[in-house]
Amino acid sequence: MHLTENDPAGKLVQLGMSAQRFTPRVSLAPPDGLLLEVQGSLHLFAGVAGLRGALLAECLRLEVRPVLAFAPTALAALVMARAGKSLEVLEPAQLTGQLAPLPLSSLRWPEYTVARLARMGVRTIGAALRLPRAGFARRFGDAQLAMLDVLTGRTAEVRVTYRAPERFRRRRELGCELENHGLLLVALAPLLAELGDFLAARDLGVVKLECRLMHRHAPPTRCVVRLASPATDVQRLTALLGEHLSALELPEPVRACELAAAALVPHRPESESLWQPGERGGSFGKESCDLIERLRARLGAEAVYGLTRLPAHRPEKAWAVAEPPSASTHRAQPGCSADSAPARRRPVWLLPAPQRLSVRDGLPRRRGPLRLVSEPERIETGWWDGDEIARDYYTAVDIHGVHLWVFRERAAPHDWFLHGVFG
Amino acid sequence: MLNCACEVSLPPKSPGEVSGAAALPPYAELHCLSNFTFLRGASHPHELVERADALGYAALAITDECSVAGVVRAHMAAKHRRLKLVIGSEFRLECGLTLVALAIDRRGYGRLCRLITRGRRAADKGQYSLTRADLEAASLAQCYILWVPAAQPSPSELRWLAERFPGRLRIAVELLREGGDRERLAALEQLGAHYAVPLLASGDVHMHVRARRRLQDALTAIRLKVPVAEAGLQLYGNGERYLRERARLARLYPRELLEAAVELSLGCTFSLDELRYEYPRELVPPGETPASYLRRLTYEGARWRWPGGVPESERTAIEHELALIAELRYEPYFLTVQDVVAYARRQGILCQGRGSAANSRVCYCLGVTSVDPQRGAALLFERFISRERNEPPDIDIDFEHERREEVLQYVYRKYGRERAALAATVIMYRPRSALRDLGKVFGLTPAESGRLAKVMQWWDRSAALPERVRDAGFDPESSWLARLVPLASELVAFPGFPRHLSQHVGGFVISEGALEELVPIENAASPQRTVVQWDKDDLNDLKLLKVDLLALGMLTALKRAFALVKDFRGTRHALGELPAEDPRVYAMISRADTIGVFQIESRAQMAMLPRLKPQCYYDLVIEVAIVRPGPIQGDMVHPYLRRRSGAEPVEYPSEEVREVLERTLGVPIFQEQVMKIAIVAAGFSPGEADALRRAMGAWKRTGGLDPFRERLLEGMREKGYPDEFAQRIYRQMLGFGEYGFPLAHAASFALLVYDSAWLKCYEPAAFTCALLNSQPMGFYAPAQLVRDARAHGVEVRPVDTCASGWDSTLERRADGEPALRLGLRVVKSLSQSGADRLVAARAERPFASVQDLATRAALDRGDLEALASAGALASLSGNRHLAFWQVAATERPVPLGFATARGADTREGRPLITAPSEAECIAADYASLGLTLGRHPLALLRARLAAAGLSPASEVTRAANGASVRTAGIVLMRQRPSTASGVTFVTLEDESGQVNVIVWERVGSAQRRALIESRLLEVHGELQQQDGVTHLIARRLIDRSSLLGELLTRSRDFH
Repeated sequence: MHLTENDPAGKLVQLGMSAQRFTPRVSLAPPDGLLLEVQGSLHLFAGVAGLRGALLAECLRLEVRPVLAFAPTALAALVMARAGKSLEVLEPAQLTGQLAPLPLSSLRWPEYTVARLARMGVRTIGAALRLPRAGFARRFGDAQLAMLDVLTGRTAEVRVTYRAPERFRRRRELGCELENHGLLLVALAPLLAELGDFLAARDLGVVKLECRLMHRHAPPTRCVVRLASPATDVQRLTALLGEHLSALELPEPVRACELAAAALVPHRPESESLWQPGERGGSFGKESCDLIERLRARLGAEAVYGLTRLPAHRPEKAWAVAEPPSASTHRAQPGCSADSAPARRRPVWLLPAPQRLSVRDGLPRRRGPLRLVSEPERIETGWWDGDEIARDYYTAVDIHGVHLWVFRERAAPHDWFLHGVFG
Repeated sequence: MLNCACEVSLPPKSPGEVSGAAALPPYAELHCLSNFTFLRGASHPHELVERADALGYAALAITDECSVAGVVRAHMAAKHRRLKLVIGSEFRLECGLTLVALAIDRRGYGRLCRLITRGRRAADKGQYSLTRADLEAASLAQCYILWVPAAQPSPSELRWLAERFPGRLRIAVELLREGGDRERLAALEQLGAHYAVPLLASGDVHMHVRARRRLQDALTAIRLKVPVAEAGLQLYGNGERYLRERARLARLYPRELLEAAVELSLGCTFSLDELRYEYPRELVPPGETPASYLRRLTYEGARWRWPGGVPESERTAIEHELALIAELRYEPYFLTVQDVVAYARRQGILCQGRGSAANSRVCYCLGVTSVDPQRGAALLFERFISRERNEPPDIDIDFEHERREEVLQYVYRKYGRERAALAATVIMYRPRSALRDLGKVFGLTPAESGRLAKVMQWWDRSAALPERVRDAGFDPESSWLARLVPLASELVAFPGFPRHLSQHVGGFVISEGALEELVPIENAASPQRTVVQWDKDDLNDLKLLKVDLLALGMLTALKRAFALVKDFRGTRHALGELPAEDPRVYAMISRADTIGVFQIESRAQMAMLPRLKPQCYYDLVIEVAIVRPGPIQGDMVHPYLRRRSGAEPVEYPSEEVREVLERTLGVPIFQEQVMKIAIVAAGFSPGEADALRRAMGAWKRTGGLDPFRERLLEGMREKGYPDEFAQRIYRQMLGFGEYGFPLAHAASFALLVYDSAWLKCYEPAAFTCALLNSQPMGFYAPAQLVRDARAHGVEVRPVDTCASGWDSTLERRADGEPALRLGLRVVKSLSQSGADRLVAARAERPFASVQDLATRAALDRGDLEALASAGALASLSGNRHLAFWQVAATERPVPLGFATARGADTREGRPLITAPSEAECIAADYASLGLTLGRHPLALLRARLAAAGLSPASEVTRAANGASVRTAGIVLMRQRPSTASGVTFVTLEDESGQVNVIVWERVGSAQRRALIESRLLEVHGELQQQDGVTHLIARRLIDRSSLLGELLTRSRDFH
């Protein structure tokens, strides 16, 4: 079976799993080929035509457009399908004759090999099969000859049977209906312990944990925990899950619970750091990660973010929202503070958008007249993206002594704006 | 002492409130980059000069980064505006120390050039590298140094400089409103006071007006190779780096700092006018003067040229020339040229001089040219060496193109790299390169930029631009495009924005003293070359000597053809010594049977030949000169042809004009004639006429022909010439301007035309063989040359590993005539070393098999496959398929003595492989050789083409004038001459011949894709016949390229 999609890899796995219905001997030929050994299943589907119909129906359900070919050898079937021919060759004696006119390219040999053969006038499988065997092997290697032999059934083929990948999913029916958040965590404890063992045995860490709580009538309540770094530690997971659960509102009591960890990543244990955070030399480490995770659990993921400086002249473009640093990413970029930008005065608090100021006697006002205490800094740039600015920035002091960052437009009518407040 | 707070409280104040300009403090800008600091400076030198003058600056320094490439242009502009110009250069040392050096006097300028040379020579092309040690070694005693402090001024830098440049060091205070100007000034004042270094004001100028800010940002992005949106802080935060108004400067700087800049500029007295050029002197042997030595050489040559004795008339002419040369003291120039030519002669390198002084008797005697002055092109010597202009005569020397490098290296060896270097060529932005670079500035991928450049390169004159932009996959309404277009216009606007320096094709500057004290020398892209920082116009402006040593493919071919003829027949020929004025040669030329002939093989030339019907050498001179943009734009071609055919009477407005124009039937064709008319008809002095010639050559650059126009028209009116005649002469001058082709060049070229035509006529095999061995050169590809040779009865034999050498060769046929054997050099991707080993191994004994060939010639797989692709293994293995089968089995060559039993021949049966079809063979021939000895591909398609009602070329050319014709052919070439206002010329070829198609702009733009993309093009149109010249005027164009592809696939046996 050959999938004609542009990006068939995802569909291939899906189809591989569902194809187990037709035969236990399913094998993937990535990126776009699926092999089924159907000799034993033919009678269940009333022969080739029936099986073809059943397979096509299944493909239709998964929205896959396949080319199906049947042949005495797996490779021959695949090659025919890849050549776009929906052939049904059931007699081994007919196999070579049916393969002969197919272009060599359907064998998926390296382009270089196919090109070399083409220059010898060998463009079809038949022409390749007519070449002297020893001479062919000498020129193109034993592997290619062996493939031709497998193709024609001269030698048998060994294929790996497909198995679905591992994931963690456990369910626990509760003896009674629970409403108490604290008890829920107790009820989940055995599942968490099982997860811990599962992870430890495989050296895996979890970055996304999903907990589903089943109710009598209402749809299940979902609770997803995302981790800033891969976690293996059951205690940490339990604590986090607890935070998340306590924020949940349950529509009904819980009758069963399910714990699933789909995003599993290989985990590399790290040594503990010598210094504590905050001490000289202590790293921005696990504890601050924990803090970020807890803040995000309480306030929501969007409410906690990091800031990063960008190399740009326009104040609006000189910073950006970033993911808060996790323990691993933070270590990768030491020393954010010192860079090549000239030491210019910039306020920490920048207004989301500049605020127009009233003017009297040519000078800006904000709850009274402002006093300009710096010389101007001229910024005129950004013409390339439609957000061009041309401004003279000043530090100004208001009547309460607050230092403000204001600017005057270079273009008429030379309006004044407030852009930031110095802390 | 200074209160900058006033600037703070005054932002809303308008300049008008400042008191009158006269009261403003004076200013001189001493730190200013032009666009010759490539991809940094955003204004031309002349723009900076003019702006500085308009602002009332006391002086302007041009201080390009480690360069003086722009100073000549600035100098000429400053002279015109009478602005004081200071010459300097900015340096950023490896340690980060930045400074500007300004030349105080001639010696200081020399040292500055030396330092620039040192930095440039120590780095790759376009880069430089200097350290503090270099600066110390340069001993810039006659230069002022400006320290340009970094964002955080480093006292140690200042201390280091102050110790080395006591009294001549200044601190450049550049207040650019980037925040902290006040603190910066205070800090620098403190530093200056501490180290006793005075301060002055300067501006780090990158552009003449602030409107160039966007362009400056774009240039920065191009330099950094990032989109401008990602250039971030590497761009300047504002546009203050321009020539600021003095009122603004007065508000920003303390008066003393502004005055200090002016004072320093007054101390720099150096002007480029002081540069004195001296010719090399060592060519004169002891005991001789340059004059006596030149006389001796000339008369030695005269005895060789006229073995029967020098005719009295020639002797008089020689004496006249020598006297003029002596008066102007140009002997060293002629001796320099003679020395180079003599070297080439000794090495057996064919060469010929041309140009203003080349056709003199002296040059003929010195062997610089072979044009016999009596052969018909007698020229008046004064026209080339004028008493009034104090500048060297111009001689170009052409050499065999494959051996010119030897001559260049000889010059470097003889004079040393300190005294000789190539002139530079300033590479300017063209529409295409501007769009490609700007596309990347706006974040397009290189592929997208290329596409954009392709569709938009003719933007300025097409209303269909939005469509084309859309065709290329861009939204014509997009805002980035709207921002890009004005920038592109700035880059390509006259006189062209410089992008980098490259080497001139062959202009050598040679000096008596150290050249690097005259102008800095830098590395060129080729490792063996060095170039000066000035181009030929700069050198001209400063009257520096330049000898053009150029490469000419035809000389290589002629040399080879002479050698082939000598080897095959034992007959000796030499340049200019073939039997003269042979009627058969002229008959062939008049038929336009000139493929491969020098100059007159182009399509335009071929179209002219049957009309002009050259009958003598002088006709060839005219033919060469007349098919040029100058005469064409000046509308001289048709009057000349009409007069020649007798359709129009030959008339002259006066007796003086008759003398000038008699040989060209009253129509000025050569540049010299136009000059002469200015003299005899408009009363110009010879010197004035020459100034006019120079202005004509440069009027597009300087726009300065108007003063001559009045003078010319007025002068002719006074002498009673009709206005119409005067206007025509002026138009012709404009036409000549850019492409003027002087008689002096045409006369030399015509000699090569005749000699190559003679060879084509009498020795076609040797001639074609020589052309093939000299590729790439000329107008035609090997395919056409070979086809033409076969049409003339030359037997051409295929490339064969058992017979071919690297070059194509002549083989003796049974009838004693030569056959042309194609050489291995035509085989694509075959290495020359592999081919050489092949030829050597074959010389020992013939090859027995492909394996034998592979083993003995130690050929790798790539070379073997190249030979198999070419069909060159046919005599060893049979057809190409079998050749590849056998090549695939060859073992890697093993070192000698380790040959294994398996490495020898492994006997194999013949495999069952189908032979390639005829179409496949033809396609493979084209792919590997670029030509085929088999049938033309269209011969295979003829039945289908005929069924579609398409005629072959042979029928098309026989059709009647005005006939409606349909044909199709392989597109050999497309030309869109700049003079032909949008017309595209297409040449089609099929098995029966060629058809010349003319596509008018309207037809071309409506059917642009078919015109641009077709390999096989079907054309419907109307035939035009005139004087034996046939053109097909296209009405409809259809792309039939797919037929060529089908030809191959249809022949394959599957599907």
